[in-house]
Amino acid sequence: MKRIGAVVAAVLIALSVLSACSSNNKESSAQADPSKGSSGKVVNLTFWGGVPAEAGPQEIVDTWNKEHPDIQVTYVRYVNDDSGNLKLDTAITSGQNVDLFANYTKPLLEKRASSGSALDLSQFTDYNIDEKMGPSAKEWAVDDKYYAMPTKRNIHFVWLNKDALDEAGLPVPTDWTLADVEKYAKALQTDSRWGYSTFPFYRDIVPFDGSLAVQGYVKEDGTSNLGAPIVAEALKLHYDMMHTSKVSPPISLIETTKMNMIAEFLSNKLAMMNAGEWVFRDANNIQDYPRDFTVAFAPLPRITEEQDDFRSLGGLGDAIAINAKSKYKEEAWEFLKWYADEGMLPQASGGRIPASKDADQDKAMELLLGDLKDKYDVESLERVLSNELPTFQATLPQEVMDIRSDEFDKYYINAQSLEDTIKNVVKRHNDFMKRH
Amino acid sequence: MLLILLGELHMKLNWMRRQQLVGYMFIAPNMIGVSCFIIIPALFSIILAFTNWEFPRLSADFVGMTNFSRLFQDEVFYQSLKNTLIFLGSVPISVGLGFLVAIVLNKSVYLKNMLRTMFFLPYITTGIAIAFVWMLIFQPVDGPVNTLLKSMGIVHPPGWLSSTSSAIFVFDIIWIWFLLGYNVIIYLAALQEVPSELLEASKIDGARRMHTIRYIIWPLVSPSTLFLLMTGFITSIKQMGIFQAITDGGPGDSTTVLSLFIYKTAFRYYDMGYASAISVILLLIIIVITAIQWFAQKKWVHYS
Repeated sequence: MKRIGAVVAAVLIALSVLSACSSNNKESSAQADPSKGSSGKVVNLTFWGGVPAEAGPQEIVDTWNKEHPDIQVTYVRYVNDDSGNLKLDTAITSGQNVDLFANYTKPLLEKRASSGSALDLSQFTDYNIDEKMGPSAKEWAVDDKYYAMPTKRNIHFVWLNKDALDEAGLPVPTDWTLADVEKYAKALQTDSRWGYSTFPFYRDIVPFDGSLAVQGYVKEDGTSNLGAPIVAEALKLHYDMMHTSKVSPPISLIETTKMNMIAEFLSNKLAMMNAGEWVFRDANNIQDYPRDFTVAFAPLPRITEEQDDFRSLGGLGDAIAINAKSKYKEEAWEFLKWYADEGMLPQASGGRIPASKDADQDKAMELLLGDLKDKYDVESLERVLSNELPTFQATLPQEVMDIRSDEFDKYYINAQSLEDTIKNVVKRHNDFMKRH
Repeated sequence: MLLILLGELHMKLNWMRRQQLVGYMFIAPNMIGVSCFIIIPALFSIILAFTNWEFPRLSADFVGMTNFSRLFQDEVFYQSLKNTLIFLGSVPISVGLGFLVAIVLNKSVYLKNMLRTMFFLPYITTGIAIAFVWMLIFQPVDGPVNTLLKSMGIVHPPGWLSSTSSAIFVFDIIWIWFLLGYNVIIYLAALQEVPSELLEASKIDGARRMHTIRYIIWPLVSPSTLFLLMTGFITSIKQMGIFQAITDGGPGDSTTVLSLFIYKTAFRYYDMGYASAISVILLLIIIVITAIQWFAQKKWVHYS
C-alpha cells in the first residue's frame, strides 16, 4: 500500500510540474507582443492544415496578419496521414493551441464532430455556406449541420499526354467508358510507357462508388450492397487492364517498387493517369519534374455504357473547422470567412481552386496555369473544370475502405477469384456493421 | 518500563522511516519517468481493454469481455497471429546461424575484423533504409533475386513481396539477416569465456572438431543462447516498423502481424478499446513464450 502511495504522490508532483509549465506557456503566447494592436490586446490564432507552409499557407497568413494587426494567425502544418491526424486529434483533446483545423475526409470530420472537437457553425448567421459553396457543400454536413466549411473544389479527372494522343491520331475524349480507356491505352502504350493507371488512392475509392452512393452502400434489409453487379464489373475491367491487355502496371509492381504515379506521368512513362487537381502542384514544378509535352484533360470514365447513375468523386474538399474549445471563436470565424472568399487564392497554383462563388475564379485560373500556359491544353481543362456532373463524397468508414482494398488486392494479384473477393468483401462488411 | 520500550521502538521506527524516505528520494527521478511513461500507460491500457473507448471521444463505457469475444471471432486476428508466429521462426534460425558464424570468426580467418564489422553493420543501420534496399532486392519483375533465378532456368520465380503466400517469408529472411550481427557479437564474447583447458583436453582425447563444438562449446555458451532467444523473441514480437514501411500489412493481410494490427486499430481506426484488448493478448503471448523458455532452460542451459 505504502509503495503505491509513494508512486501516486510522485506522479501527482510530476503532473503539477508539467501543467505549471504548460500554463506558463499559454500565458506568454497569449500576451505576445501587446504593443502592436490598436486596442492593446492581440488575439493569437493557430491554424492547422495539411498543406506545406511554403505551398501557399504561409503567404495566406502573412497577408492576413498584415491587414489585421489585432488578430495574428500562425500556421501549423500536420501531415495528412495516420500519425499526422493522430497528432492533430491529440492536440485538440489535450487543449493545446488549435483554433482552426482542416479536415480532408468525411469520416474523420464525423469523429471530430461527435467527440465535440469541432464547433457547430450554424451559430454564425452572417455567411450562408449552402449559398456560397453550392449544392455539393451538403456532402460535408454531419447530421444536417455544418461542423466545418468546405472551401476548395475537388476536381477529379484524367490527365492525358496530349503529344502521345496526337501521335496516335486520337481526339481528347469528352465522355467515355473504361472500354474506351483500354482502347486508348493500347494505342498509347510503348516499350517505355504504360497506357493507363489510377492514382493510388483511387484503389480505395473506385469508380463504382458513385453508383453505390446513389444505390446506397447498405441494402434495404440492412446488409451490405458491396455485392452489387457494378462492383464486380469494375474490378474485372481493372483486372483485365493489368493482366490481359497489360496496359496498366499491376498492383504488385506498383506496391513493391513504391511507384510514384505522378512522377511516371510527368516523365512520359505513363500516358494517361486517373487523378485530379492535386497533381498541379508537381506539374507546375518544372525544376523537379521537367517535361516537354502538353497535358490535356478528360472527365472520369464511366464503367460501362449502361451505368446511368454514375457520379464523379467529391465536389468539395478542405473542410475547415473551428475548435469548439477555442477561446477566440468569433475571430476564428472572421478568418475563416476571409479565407474561403479570397484568402486561400495563393494555393491555387497547387490546384486548390476556391469553391466560394465570391472568390476570384479568373485569378485562380491564372495562378493555376502560371507561366506554363502553353504546356496545358486550356480548352479541355476548362471543360473538365466546368463539368456539371453530379458528385458524391466518400463516406465509408476507414476500416471498411481498408477491408475492401485488402480483398481487392488479393484479386488483383491472383490470390483469389473474383467471386470469392466479392463474397469476402460482403461478409466482412456485414460483420463490421454488426459491430457498429 | 513499557513506556521506555515503546519510546525506543518509536525512535527506531522514525529512524527507519527517514531512511526509507531517503531511499525513495533517490529512486524518485527514475521512478517518476518509468511510472509516467511506462507503468501507468500499461496499466491504463489493460483497463481500456474492457471499455469501448474510441478516440477522440472523451467518454467510454465498460463493456466487459466484449472486445475479447470479438477478437476470438476476428479472422484478421488469427491471420496476424499466424503471421507473427511465422515471423518469430526467424529468431532461432538467426541465433543458430549466429553461433556458426561466431565459431568461424573466432578462429583465425582472413579479414576477421572486417568480416565482424560487416556482420554487425545491419544492426546499426536505419530500419527504413534496410526496408527499401530489401524491397529492391526482392522486386518481382527485374529485381536481382528473380533475375538470378530466371538466369538459372526458373521460369516462374516466386512473387516474393507481391504474393500473399511468400511475402511473410521475405520478412523472415530480412529479420534473420538483421539480428545476425548482434547474435554474432554476443556469441563471440561468450566464446572468449570458454576455458581453453577444456578444449585442449578434448583435443588430446581425440575429439573431432564437430564433437568439440557439439558437446563442449555449445553447452558452455548455452546461457548466451537463452539470453539471445528471449530478447530476440521479445524484440521481434514487438517489431512493426519494417512491416509498415515495406508492405503495410499487404498484400491483403498476408503480412499483418499483431503489432501492426494493434497499431492500425488504435491509430488508424481510433478503436482504442479493441486495440488494448489485442495488446493484452500480445502481452500474454510474450509472457507464455518467456515462461516456457525460463522453465525449459533446466533441461539444456548449463551455468558454469
